[in-house]
Amino acid sequence: MSDKTEHTANESKQQVYRTTPERTGKMMIIMLGICIVGAIVFFSLWDYWIATPAPVVAMMAGEAEHAASAAATGKTITQDLTFIESSDFRTLAFNALPNEAGHNPTIQMNVGDTVVFNVDNGGISFHSFGVTKADEGFAGIIPGSEIGAASNPLKPGEGGSSEFVAGEEGTYYYICTVPGHREQGMVGEIIIGPAQGGSSGIAAAPTGVSHEFTLNFVESSDFRTLAFNALPDEDDHNPEIRVNSGDEVTITVANMGKSFHSFGVVSNPEDFNSVIWDSAIAAMASPLKPGEGGSTTFVAGAPGTYYYICTIPGHALQGMQGSFIVE
Amino acid sequence: MVLEFQKPRPIWQIMFSTHHTDIGLLYLISSLAFLFLGGSLALAIRAELFFPNIEGTGQIIADSMTFNRIFTVHGTTLIFLFIIPFASAVGNYFVPIMVRYKDMAYPKLNAIAFWMIPPAAVLVWLGFADFTWYAQPPYSIISAPGPAADMWIFGLKILGISSVLGAINFVVTILKCKHPDMSIGQVPLLAWSFLVTSCIIIVAIPTFAAALLMLLTDRLGISGFFNPAMGGDPIAYSHLFWFTFHPEVYVLVLPAIGMMYEIIPRFSRKPIYSYNSGIFAFVLLAIVAFSSWAHHMFATGMSFTEKTVFMVGTLAAVPASAMHVFNFIATMWNGRIKFATPMMWAVGGIALFFAAGAGGVVNSAMPLDFSTHDSYWVVGHFHLFVMGTIAFASIGFVYYMFPYVTGRMYNETAGKAHFVLSFVGTVLVFFTQHVLGLFGMPRRVFDYPPIPEWIAMNQIASVGAMIIGTSMVIFLINMIYSSAKGELANIEDPFGLGGKYYYPFEAKNPHH
Amino acid sequence: MSGHSNWPEWIYIAVVVALMAWVGAEAWNAERLVEHVPEGAEVIKVTAQQWFWTFEHEDGTKEIGELHVEVGKAYKFEIESKDVIHSFNIHDYVVLMDAVPGRVNTVWFAPTDVGEHAIQCREYCGLLHYNMRGTLYVEEPSS
Repeated sequence: MSDKTEHTANESKQQVYRTTPERTGKMMIIMLGICIVGAIVFFSLWDYWIATPAPVVAMMAGEAEHAASAAATGKTITQDLTFIESSDFRTLAFNALPNEAGHNPTIQMNVGDTVVFNVDNGGISFHSFGVTKADEGFAGIIPGSEIGAASNPLKPGEGGSSEFVAGEEGTYYYICTVPGHREQGMVGEIIIGPAQGGSSGIAAAPTGVSHEFTLNFVESSDFRTLAFNALPDEDDHNPEIRVNSGDEVTITVANMGKSFHSFGVVSNPEDFNSVIWDSAIAAMASPLKPGEGGSTTFVAGAPGTYYYICTIPGHALQGMQGSFIVE
Repeated sequence: MVLEFQKPRPIWQIMFSTHHTDIGLLYLISSLAFLFLGGSLALAIRAELFFPNIEGTGQIIADSMTFNRIFTVHGTTLIFLFIIPFASAVGNYFVPIMVRYKDMAYPKLNAIAFWMIPPAAVLVWLGFADFTWYAQPPYSIISAPGPAADMWIFGLKILGISSVLGAINFVVTILKCKHPDMSIGQVPLLAWSFLVTSCIIIVAIPTFAAALLMLLTDRLGISGFFNPAMGGDPIAYSHLFWFTFHPEVYVLVLPAIGMMYEIIPRFSRKPIYSYNSGIFAFVLLAIVAFSSWAHHMFATGMSFTEKTVFMVGTLAAVPASAMHVFNFIATMWNGRIKFATPMMWAVGGIALFFAAGAGGVVNSAMPLDFSTHDSYWVVGHFHLFVMGTIAFASIGFVYYMFPYVTGRMYNETAGKAHFVLSFVGTVLVFFTQHVLGLFGMPRRVFDYPPIPEWIAMNQIASVGAMIIGTSMVIFLINMIYSSAKGELANIEDPFGLGGKYYYPFEAKNPHH
Repeated sequence: MSGHSNWPEWIYIAVVVALMAWVGAEAWNAERLVEHVPEGAEVIKVTAQQWFWTFEHEDGTKEIGELHVEVGKAYKFEIESKDVIHSFNIHDYVVLMDAVPGRVNTVWFAPTDVGEHAIQCREYCGLLHYNMRGTLYVEEPSS
């Protein structure tokens, strides 16, 4: 149906030009050629097109990565906090308004200690709670420390509890995570000092001992239960791994399921973003497809109880987690 | 009809020409190519869904990521690379002739608008993004991998600009360049449909252009319009998107209705029942189109008042569409109808248009939408529009244009076979999908639980899809073969309708 | 400009408009009734994330992928999402409401018969959207 060449005109009005088979053939070849070239380019770069997560993902996760992974090896402190508001609602705070005793209490703790927050809403507005390392704003809330969220806040009179384990020295902040409330005063400092007592927080020097473990991602047929190596009630389900601090560990994984998985060792099984010791195999952005596998070698760090999990969001919660104990 | 100015012209001269018939031809060829490419993707989807993947059987596509990419590109291609360019093809070819002007108002701009399509198509097809043709955030911001997603965004940006440039051209050509002796009330309804469509495009598309830009900056992390973690609201995107794309579905359908206004009076050998009603219905539809966008968002948590307003806006568009159906049927009434291939397609299109609209009324009734939203009912409903009405009218018009463009006749038997198979296939696929949706199957799923009713209906739909696929192969062969070696057509009256009732501007309709 | 009578067209349009008005009125009324959450409906928090559902009852009980409710009681779902838009759907009871990150949407229902029903996700959310399923168990009241 392309262009025309002269042909016998059989009408009075105008010259009708019709195409020839050759030109039609040429056009079909051109179109097919374009498709083939495109297909070659597409398939030869098959993985490239969907390889990179959006830049904003790294920015959002970057906040959480700053908060160091923490092992609870020290003491537990309890801190009660109440959201309060000034009567003109201009000033917000924890426990007491500015210039009063007990206003935004500062918490002193050491690496490895746990703070249990008991928070309740003593104001007339909505609030929610979380701990972050960021010195402004409401992003980077450390998983496990949140009570409610800006989208599902605590109503007046409601309350809840959460925990925060200090993983590194420095200053963290407990805040109200409703946008703007931190700026209006609902923020307090958590000052973290070095780990107390002997070797609890320090990693041993490399021992030269090597361990190898094989972990397979498995799924139940209804996809409701996920695990490593075997389903619950079967042998070798989520095997416990025990090594000494400083040992070299090699873990080989294989995806025996029908879904996507990835691997990492974390200190908080709910925090799949903070993989420690460079132990990650694949990641949510570029996971292991069914049948694929990989391995990682790393040195076990400070003594404590850690977890190896599948780092796809939700999979650890559905069962893909096991203990990784460093002695 | 004048097809060519000079004797055999080299291909590059035709490709870079700015004459409206050449550009119309380029749009036509590229849009039909994308019809076949996008349609093949649909066949892949239906093949995958033939069996649920029990114990690893019945799985043809490697993984769900690939499947998600396939249906994303399927939708994007058929809407933006087939339907809209095809309408541009018809418009470019015929509108200047219909308003008795030598070319479009801005020929160079016209060529630029066409040539934006290949690079945009390359971006979309190479990237093969996975976030559906809606690109709904937050998924499209935080979860969709790049560079596919970014390529899609850029591709659609370019296509949007191309649409707007074409729309400007049509409006100026029809309003300002029409023959001095021709009043606006004498311009054929096909040209009117392009005028109205272009006005909708000019008002609606910029909103989506803004939304795309915002989506891109959100992906880069520089802004937080739609990203809750940065203080944004994903529903804002839904509003922007549907504010464009609900009117956009009328952009898709109005040229098809215009094409039916060409075919039906011709082949009924009767003038249009009411030219004025046609214009009134076009204009009313264009205005009411802007009042119903959030009926796509009934389940997002809107308030009762908001939902009521948009339900009323949606229902208000029905009488305008109904006017067109009445017009068609009244035109055919008592006519001496010749059921050549184009007429079969047009009549089949009217029937499916009615069915699609009826299903749409169900969707717009608020509580009923909670049964059908994002299920296969919606898939069946909109496909009855885009395939059953728009593709049918478009294909019928291809058959109608064929002798004028190529100077030859296509094979009538093959054309009729194409219609019968396509009609049967379309009914099998899309009517079944309405029922499937009522049984609860969600859309955009790579797999489904082995519920016997779902399996049966998916299989019926897949069979229907293969029937459509077969018919399209017949179409392709017919088109290629007949354009090179078909019987010479009688340019005066290729369909044997009698009378000088076939050149739009020469119609001796006493009512004009 | 047309010389023919067009009363059939007017009648047809009147019929279509009347039909649309009737559909609209009925729908408005039905939705008004459907949206009224009964007093004392037990609140269940539904959290959607890629790619599974978790539920939290008023008494703190948490469930993953399954939801146990009692026949004859009214339940109000407060639905939220942790990442992208999902949609909470119990098709057999026409429960459908999007889970949008950054807001809480509510929908209620009162199961009438003992049985098991499918919970599914009705908004595209990525790789495993098709498998983001759960089960609703409607049981006899325990007490």
